[in-house]
Amino acid sequence: MEDGGANLDERDAGRDRPLDLGWLRESRAEWGVKATPSRIGLTLKDIAVGSYGDIPDHPPRRTMAPRGSDIPDQVPDMGYTINDKAEVWSDNVMELYEEAVSRQWSATRDIPWGELAPLDPDLEHAMCQLATVLSEVEMVAADFPAKWLWRINHDFVEAKMFLCTQAMDEARHTEVFRKRALANGGGMGRATAIVEQFLKVILDAQSYDEGSALMHLLGEGLVLSLFRAGETIAPSEVEKRIFRLCMQDEARHVSYGTMHLRYRLQRDPSLAEDFHSYLDRGEELIGVLLSTPEVAEPATILAAGSLEAASELGSAATDVLRVQSIEEYLQRCDRAGLDRRGRIRLPDDMIAGTSAAPPPTPAVAADVVGART
Amino acid sequence: MSAGTGLLPDFPSSAWFDALVGDVDRRRKEYERLGFADCRFAVEVVDDRGTCRWFGLVLDGYDIISEGELDRLEPFAPDVVLSGPHAAWTEMVANIVRHGGADRAHTLNALSIAGFPLSARSPDPVGRDKFYRYAETLQTLFDSAGRAVPVAGGH
Ligand SMILES: [Fe+2]
Ligand SMILES: [Fe+2]
Repeated sequence: MEDGGANLDERDAGRDRPLDLGWLRESRAEWGVKATPSRIGLTLKDIAVGSYGDIPDHPPRRTMAPRGSDIPDQVPDMGYTINDKAEVWSDNVMELYEEAVSRQWSATRDIPWGELAPLDPDLEHAMCQLATVLSEVEMVAADFPAKWLWRINHDFVEAKMFLCTQAMDEARHTEVFRKRALANGGGMGRATAIVEQFLKVILDAQSYDEGSALMHLLGEGLVLSLFRAGETIAPSEVEKRIFRLCMQDEARHVSYGTMHLRYRLQRDPSLAEDFHSYLDRGEELIGVLLSTPEVAEPATILAAGSLEAASELGSAATDVLRVQSIEEYLQRCDRAGLDRRGRIRLPDDMIAGTSAAPPPTPAVAADVVGART
Repeated sequence: MSAGTGLLPDFPSSAWFDALVGDVDRRRKEYERLGFADCRFAVEVVDDRGTCRWFGLVLDGYDIISEGELDRLEPFAPDVVLSGPHAAWTEMVANIVRHGGADRAHTLNALSIAGFPLSARSPDPVGRDKFYRYAETLQTLFDSAGRAVPVAGGH
């Protein structure tokens, strides 16, 4: 008699057996293997001992049965579609999971909300609009891994666990920026179609490869730079702490994305062109997104310190941030094994001053030389 | 003399970093709340003639170890080096001492975001990103300089 794949006759027969764990004697489990805790406790790396530390490149089954357990033939196929380790793995995924669990924080408890003071209305508007955009984009970085989680083979459970921590991190980021928008009288600002379009491209990605490159490497890399800058553009200690705590989390996600892509490309360099084309499209969208007033103006006003100063300085107020964030993105691409400098699709004014800027044309170069002499 | 007793040794010196690390045990609960860290972090202080002095810190779980002044940087194998001129470092230390912790313009992150006056460098961007992953832990450590009475810290 079958019931959802389980053999119920076997279950009935089991009632006559002595209660002595006899059925476990045939088990291939590694009796005697004992993981030793390290100084910070018993980590995933500590329990990666004996055969339990062997993560197959191509698991033979698609089951939720724990890696290393004895698995009967009758287990149902769970329908996983990501069954190659290289599709999700990164060499730092175990340490990143442990770090994520250890470095959680609370948007309710750890932000000094009581210190929020009334701000100049322009700065409050700018801060609330930035918080609106961030509250909008953060959740996609939970939705995307959540969409793919159930498709990932359970033998890569450490990678799945890391993605769960990312979903929790992003929930907190969404929470903290929503709270900031509502905590000081400004309220929610304006959403934009271009931001939604970029999020949709990530969410609708045809493969984990595509979505991960767009999100972990490109999108989160730029958000990480924004969080870094946030500490200096923050109008008060409250936002400063928000940005710094978010920055720590975001850097974990970006570290995973960088090392995951590296792992992927090392095992299959022929995929490089695919990844280039994902990033081509992503950069084109990001280029438009970053120029949108709803996104660009708040950061410029906060960086300049006032509406008047921002009007005077214009984009110069955020030039340093722009150059730094694009350089860091290019360096991460390099580390992953992709040189984007020759084919970056961000607009020229956005890459000016970076190592991806095109060399000056002969006419321009001659002008510069002429001007110097 | 160690942080918390009233005076800090001169910056930069092995004793100054030892004093910060000496404060970690007294702030154990704060560090445990921040979570563990894993990073080999080097401070590079460049004088007017371009001569560098290096100091090594190892973030290991909830512990921080001061490796003191380094003869050479390479054997320490830092994940990330935070570098800047002597004047920028001492201004930062003076600011921490004055305010009991860095103000918004003088945190390690704020001073390095533009690549000047401080800059975070690493041959590996994932190593450099550790500077961001552990920003709160590193800042808590450096802010310990503000827990001592400001006499020698701002030299
Ligand atoms: Fe985030
Ligand atoms: Fe993220």
